[in-house]
Amino acid sequence: MERMTDKQKILIVDDSEMNRSILADMLGGEYEILEAENGIEGLAMLRKHAGEISLVLLDIVMPELDGFGMLTEMNRNHWIEDVPVIMISAERGSSHVERAFEMGITDFISRPFDALIVHRRVVNTILLYAKQKKLVALAAEQIYEKERRSSLMIDILSHIVEFRNGESGMHVRHVHTLTETLLTALMRKTDKYGLTSQDISVISTASALHDIGKIAIPEEILNKPGRFTDEEFAIMKTHSMIGAEMLEALPDDYRDEPLVKAAYQICRWHHERWDGRGYPDGLKGDEIPISAQIVALADVYDALTSERVYKPAFSHEKAIEMILKGECGTFNPLVMECLGGCADEILLELGSDTTQRQSQREMQSVARELHKHEELTASERTLELLEHERMKYSFFAAMSEEIQFEFTVQPPMVTLTAWGAEKLGLEEIIMDPASNGRVKELIGEDNWRGLSDALHGTTPGHPVVTFDCLLNYGGSPRWTRIVARATWSSDEPPRYTGAIGKAIDIHDSRLKLDNLERMATHDAMTGLLNHATAKKRVMERLADRPDGKFALVILDLDHFKQANDTYGHMCGDRVLIHLAGKLRQSIRGGDIAARVGGDEFLLFLEYGGELDPIVSRIYSSISGSMFEDFPICLSMGIAPTDVVGTDYDALFHAADQALYKVKRSGRGRYAFYDESMRDMLSVISPIEGSSDAGEESGGEKGESEP
Amino acid sequence: MTLQECYAALEGDYQGVLGRLTSERMVQKFVLKFLNDSSFDLLVRSMEEENYQEAFRAAHTIKGVCQNLDFTRLYRSSCQLSEALRNGVTPEAPSLLEQVKADYAQTVAAIRAFQESVGA
Repeated sequence: MERMTDKQKILIVDDSEMNRSILADMLGGEYEILEAENGIEGLAMLRKHAGEISLVLLDIVMPELDGFGMLTEMNRNHWIEDVPVIMISAERGSSHVERAFEMGITDFISRPFDALIVHRRVVNTILLYAKQKKLVALAAEQIYEKERRSSLMIDILSHIVEFRNGESGMHVRHVHTLTETLLTALMRKTDKYGLTSQDISVISTASALHDIGKIAIPEEILNKPGRFTDEEFAIMKTHSMIGAEMLEALPDDYRDEPLVKAAYQICRWHHERWDGRGYPDGLKGDEIPISAQIVALADVYDALTSERVYKPAFSHEKAIEMILKGECGTFNPLVMECLGGCADEILLELGSDTTQRQSQREMQSVARELHKHEELTASERTLELLEHERMKYSFFAAMSEEIQFEFTVQPPMVTLTAWGAEKLGLEEIIMDPASNGRVKELIGEDNWRGLSDALHGTTPGHPVVTFDCLLNYGGSPRWTRIVARATWSSDEPPRYTGAIGKAIDIHDSRLKLDNLERMATHDAMTGLLNHATAKKRVMERLADRPDGKFALVILDLDHFKQANDTYGHMCGDRVLIHLAGKLRQSIRGGDIAARVGGDEFLLFLEYGGELDPIVSRIYSSISGSMFEDFPICLSMGIAPTDVVGTDYDALFHAADQALYKVKRSGRGRYAFYDESMRDMLSVISPIEGSSDAGEESGGEKGESEP
Repeated sequence: MTLQECYAALEGDYQGVLGRLTSERMVQKFVLKFLNDSSFDLLVRSMEEENYQEAFRAAHTIKGVCQNLDFTRLYRSSCQLSEALRNGVTPEAPSLLEQVKADYAQTVAAIRAFQESVGA
């Protein structure tokens, strides 16, 4: 575990160990020194210790990635804004110095180092940045406070309006949420209105003010149960214009605020309709500002789904349906599409705990505000949180005894937990893993590509993949399940930036599973396939190669019952195992051998030319031999597909009938099925045979003596 | 042999380094450490393998270290060599390498003698 220290950390990036230690000595015991021997390692250290490093001392000429390369990367990630860099080099060319300053370095020290100068400059730079960080924290604090206060004020104001209106106070919140959801959907759909996330924030906040004009409507009209008279409705309708006028009457300073501008549009035009049949100005189509169009729709939806003195509350589905059917006035078709598209999202958003959403929204707006001020990318507050998270993470990672990893695309790097690195025999930080020999050896090219493709194929909404593969570590391949979550940037469109995940050893459970599968598909005694599985495989082969020439063979041991009776069952079992081994040896790779039951076995052969020599070879290699004191003698019935067809049951039945024929005519032979056997009895299921009638008249054609 | 005599033998600037690194203890520590620096081996190997980019970096590192330790003689030749290799190999590089080898041998011999006399 990392030890927490109060010492400030300085990162020295230099390829010469001598130079690093001279610098470290010069800085003495006042700082904690981290070292990196090239730019890539330097970046990895910065990433690992984000926010902790107070200063970087950077050499220019280095292998892998030089000082300028590292500065480029620090600029791209905006780290250069938070971490001061002092460049150290013997390069005195002024173009070098100039270029380095342009890339954001704070100071430049040339070789040879002078202990006093190095020390003094380091101290000065760190002090300067510490002051700046404090100021940043202070400013962030104030922005947060300001944001919180202004949304509080808007909340109070809009609630006053609502309470006078006899409403619960939820209407304003709902309209806010709906406005935000709809605008976000609209922004995704089209750039026609040039909406930014900043605009969405402003419009959503301003939406709370849409009914402030109602403050001027007499209470008897406002809360009248039942229908308005024409005269009352005319008075009610004035609330939109009154609201707009109230905002217009604000002092000049405020009128130019984006929030007030948006609120003005919303107040005045949130009862306008797309077809020009709204009020007060009868605007049509996109003459109505998009802010007012959206709030109008949000207002209508919430009115439909709320209970009012004159109507019950409609369900979410009913409200959406009524709006889409145009029962509540005409709206912009694009906006209607958005409503249809995010109907589920709306239900979810409105269903979630509103207070929580409120604070969440506040947090978001603080984040947005912080984002506006680029220099505030990492305030002290965030850094503390980050530090806490990191401590938590490394603690749990150390406890869990799991192989956990983090992968970033830029810079290309894998970070492993200490435990995981030890387990896999790798470094904790691996640069450019795709071309690292040991990583390749561990995971294998195909798996690496497969995992990479799977991660690239995810979406920000469904970023998790599960990937089973064999990893080579500790001397032998082990089945491992990798569960990883791709990380996507918050840009639009999102960028794949890497992944986090863990690798779980599933070797034992996988083997157990394999074993179970084996048990379910194989005959326990002989190790051949069981009948059910053989049937499945045969049918697969037949379906795969409808034009192939196959033969299904059923065979049994003559006088096996006597062997069992004479020598005992143990001996009988050994005979069966012996026979199974013989059968396995006598067939080719693609052929199938199975134990049907008792002393009956099945073979499924594919042949190219003549079938008879193949069968003859198998027959004579087994039949006639001895096992211990027991003479092995077989009877075989064969059903070729070119006679019987490719239906499994028909083939099985035909082979069975041919076997019966052999048994009837004295055993110890094999016979091919032909049409004359059609009505014969069966060996395996004798009751299936219809009669004995055809038995003796069956043709001997195709039958041969061994 | 004193540290000052060692500097005389390797043709370095003892007063200069003492001024910058502030204490004799520190100078001694890094002078002895110079024996463990692998940059010279890397330089020779890279030149043999005609990997001039790597050779440049190695020469550059030797130069930087010598500069920090005020090993003036070796600094001068390694500086010339690194300039000769900055943009790939140049005709004078082989002879400059020989010079660096000679100066390095002289420097190491002086440091070894010093090391024996302090019993380190």
